[in-house]
Amino acid sequence: MFEKILTRARMRSPWMLHFDCGSCNGCDIEVLACLTPVYDVERFGVVNTGNPMHADILLVTGTVNHRNRNVLRNLYDQMPGPKVVVAIGACGLTGGIFRQAWNVVGGVDRVIPVDVYVPGCPAKPEAIIDGVVMGLEKFMEKQHVDIS
Amino acid sequence: MHPLTFILILLPFVAAACCFWTVSERLRSYIVLTTGGTLMASALLLTFRAPFAFSPEPVWGLDVHDAVKIPDFLLTALILYYGFRRRSFAVIVPTAVQIVLMLWFEGFMIEAPSVQAFYCDNLSLIMVLIISIVGSLICFQAFAYMKIHETHRHLPESRQPRFFGVMMFFLGAMNGLVLSNDMSVIHFFFEATTLCSFLLIGHDGDETAVRNSVRALWMNSLGGLAFTVAMMIIYRNLGTIGLQQILRTSPGAGLSFLAMALLCLAAFVKSAQFPMQSWLTGAMVAPTPVSALLHSSTMVKVGVYLALRLAPVMHGSFLSHCIAIYGAFSFLAGAGLAVGQSNGKKVLAYSTISNLGLIFACIGIDTPESITAAVLLLLFHAVVKALLFLCVGTIEQHIDSRDIEDMRGLYAKMPLTALIAVMGVVMMIMPPFGLLLGKWMAMEAASANIFVIFPTAVGSALTAMYWARWAGTLMSDPFAGKFKPESQPPMTWGVLVSLCAGAGLLSVLSPWVYAKLFTTSMILHYTPPYVLHDGMLENAWGVFAVLPLCAVAVLGFLQSIGAVLWAATGARVVTPYLSGIQTEEPRVFTGPMNRRVQAQAGNYYLSNLFGERTLTVWINLAAGVLLILIVGGTL
Amino acid sequence: MIRHGILIAAALIFGPLVGGLISGMDRILTARVQSRIGPPLLQPFYDVIKLLGKEKVVVNVWQAFCANAYLTAASIAVVLLCLRSDLLLILFIQAVGSVFLVVGAFSSTSPYSQIGAHRELLQMLCYEPLLILVAVGVYLQTGSFRIAAVHALHQPMLLKLPFLFLVLGLVLTIKLRKSPFDLSTSHHAHQELVKGLLTDYSGPLLALTEIAHWCDTALLLGFCSLFWATNPIGALLLVAVTYLMEIWIDNVCARMNWRWMLGYGWGMGMALSLVNLVWLYAR
Repeated sequence: MFEKILTRARMRSPWMLHFDCGSCNGCDIEVLACLTPVYDVERFGVVNTGNPMHADILLVTGTVNHRNRNVLRNLYDQMPGPKVVVAIGACGLTGGIFRQAWNVVGGVDRVIPVDVYVPGCPAKPEAIIDGVVMGLEKFMEKQHVDIS
Repeated sequence: MHPLTFILILLPFVAAACCFWTVSERLRSYIVLTTGGTLMASALLLTFRAPFAFSPEPVWGLDVHDAVKIPDFLLTALILYYGFRRRSFAVIVPTAVQIVLMLWFEGFMIEAPSVQAFYCDNLSLIMVLIISIVGSLICFQAFAYMKIHETHRHLPESRQPRFFGVMMFFLGAMNGLVLSNDMSVIHFFFEATTLCSFLLIGHDGDETAVRNSVRALWMNSLGGLAFTVAMMIIYRNLGTIGLQQILRTSPGAGLSFLAMALLCLAAFVKSAQFPMQSWLTGAMVAPTPVSALLHSSTMVKVGVYLALRLAPVMHGSFLSHCIAIYGAFSFLAGAGLAVGQSNGKKVLAYSTISNLGLIFACIGIDTPESITAAVLLLLFHAVVKALLFLCVGTIEQHIDSRDIEDMRGLYAKMPLTALIAVMGVVMMIMPPFGLLLGKWMAMEAASANIFVIFPTAVGSALTAMYWARWAGTLMSDPFAGKFKPESQPPMTWGVLVSLCAGAGLLSVLSPWVYAKLFTTSMILHYTPPYVLHDGMLENAWGVFAVLPLCAVAVLGFLQSIGAVLWAATGARVVTPYLSGIQTEEPRVFTGPMNRRVQAQAGNYYLSNLFGERTLTVWINLAAGVLLILIVGGTL
Repeated sequence: MIRHGILIAAALIFGPLVGGLISGMDRILTARVQSRIGPPLLQPFYDVIKLLGKEKVVVNVWQAFCANAYLTAASIAVVLLCLRSDLLLILFIQAVGSVFLVVGAFSSTSPYSQIGAHRELLQMLCYEPLLILVAVGVYLQTGSFRIAAVHALHQPMLLKLPFLFLVLGLVLTIKLRKSPFDLSTSHHAHQELVKGLLTDYSGPLLALTEIAHWCDTALLLGFCSLFWATNPIGALLLVAVTYLMEIWIDNVCARMNWRWMLGYGWGMGMALSLVNLVWLYAR
């Protein structure tokens, strides 16, 4: 019974942390567009926290490189579980057009486990919202998994 | 009761002489321990005897008044001698004038006084308890402290005999001061505390110490002068110098308010109120037990004690109003200056001045409620402030600094001391502890006076600010491990823990302390203002649920400790947020070129607003004007 | 005794509940002002339940102590308000909670946390004297610090203490961290503060501070309601209007710095209190 309430609360209160790994800002603009009155994701309880300690969903845009892979790792570690990672845009998924560059590691999943991939260059706000909603469904699966 | 009084006053003097001539450290520690223990026991026994008044039988035709006369002159002459030796005219002039006046007074004015030499009521009793118990505990802690202190300073020859001699002497002088009824006897003890203070501030003998000790001496000898003049005026008007006799005169029966104002002036100097605060802040160069004993928990209380004694005769007068405003101003100004300080001992000094200001404000308001508040504040402030001072002393010897910034994250290094210090801070500013009970009474009593309540309200917020900042700084360290108390000499942690526990216990028992002190035998003849029922203190317009709150606080504490244990066992430990570039080391992040950079965050001291440089001039000016008002208003 | 027990239980349950609902309403209204739809009314409760069920993550175990102590103090204050106890005592206990919150923030070494803690201290410095002065005004009007005396009045207190009510409004704005006073922690200060005071509280501990904040909201709005204590509908209206004003101010103001806050808060607050208190004295 409590589990049910908890899962419901989790689904309805996804606080997100948006981390830009080295994006061209295209995807970032689209992520922030979701918060504007046109899309108004706060309808679903989404809050942009800007703080890993408070976040449930990590939205990552851009290519991971050798410099910021530690930052990504650190932020992910600081998030309390259960947590979901959504990789956004071609770069976030695979490294995009930069994947051959000497300083690039590749997609987000090279560093941390990714739950949802949202393709696009840039990804559309609707797609991002869909990705977040898919991420929420992951909470259903994750609730029984050991959260540590 | 006679033997108890004599033990309380004379035993420390004997012990002082013994300490002074004892070279063996071990023997000296036995002397101090025995004396301290005896003093504590005697003070506790005294609670069953008060109130009383008596004069001992003359010995060889000498009563106490005569017996003190010669030492009094000797003492003042000694101060004069020190004035000459340090070439300080500020000391020489008032002391010389004082000697002349005393000669005149003793030689030509006074006839055989027929007043009781000793008097003890509940107020004296509280003072004796503070001096004997808190004072002795501080002396115990001084053993461990002075040992390390002298090792640090590489002295060729230990100066501890002198140190403990003066400390013991001081305890006796304080007990004598609060138990005496004859003003000339009080004068002797008053001067004795001045001298002790001078000797102990200058104990280390370096340049700053000497300079500050001379400053303390001249300021306090001004106080002594004011006291002498007041004594003479009172004798001239009333023909008596017995405190109880003075208190029994009805207002307007020839009692000179000028004399009262001068006595208050002496009290303000002793309590380091503005603009005479600099002797107290300067006194912080002394070894910490000295700061704790003389300059926070006992000696500065002399001024408050005097004013409290005289409160009944000043009732309703213009003088009393002025004291209330002056005290409230002092409370505000002290708190403001404390906010601007990062030097831990100075924060304590200003907070002492500020708290004493609040007590003076209560005395000036002079209703039964406010007098109760004053006495409770006096009691709890002495205990908690001693605790905090000793904590800072212990900390200082471990980290070689008294700066609050250097105490950042002290919990990681010395968890026991840090926790006790935080406990001290909590007892300073939080209900249901005694100090806040006193402050609550004070504020409710002050609400009827707009000139008092405004500064008090602001000062109280400032007080919360500098204490909370300090407590937070002590705890500022990522910590998730097991609690491993650092090793301390048993004398140090024993004293710290017992003071902390004592203050806590006293707070829980405060309704009964109140009942014992204020209702069984009325203090200063005020009717007890609060009714005690179900562990709550109540009067017509307010209620402080002491016992229920204590119970809830204990439950809350246990629950929160449970949460700490829960966090220590079941939680995942992460590094504090540092924009994702943190390293495994706290406060270090990966900077440009993969260099490790220290993240720094200092406290807000708002020194442009609350710094000494900004405020002191204006505060001294305003306090000077208020003092002129106090003295001038009585002419 | 039983009556007291029921009151205490009611205060413990309804205090945070009301605070949470108000916070939910606040979020909806703010969204509407920004032409958004906004979250459901129960959103704050979802948030807190979610936080309570999250992984336990701490940076310093004493933060757990502080969060618990904050909640304890805040709920005691609400309980005492319901028991119609001493106003000044309630304010002191309320301050205890805030101090613990600040000490908890200090116990993390993150500079964001530290700055937030300092700013919170400055906010307390700004509003605490004003709160005390409002209590003094109540004392001068009713002759007592007990809330029971306020309920015994025949005329709403607002008519005699209009300026002090404005001061209370100012305090409410600072205490609830509404713009322009959302200095110590804010939903809108990511670049500057991250989450300030609350940066390193996470999961269940953050939930506790949130519940305690609801208690604080309930306490202060309860204090506001005393100004029209003669009539429950009047009290409700007064609180509603006051809170709507808060939301409006929150939405039309930008965040200011602490210097401005201290100057404005003390200047405006003290001046208004002085006028009102002098008037009460002169009467």
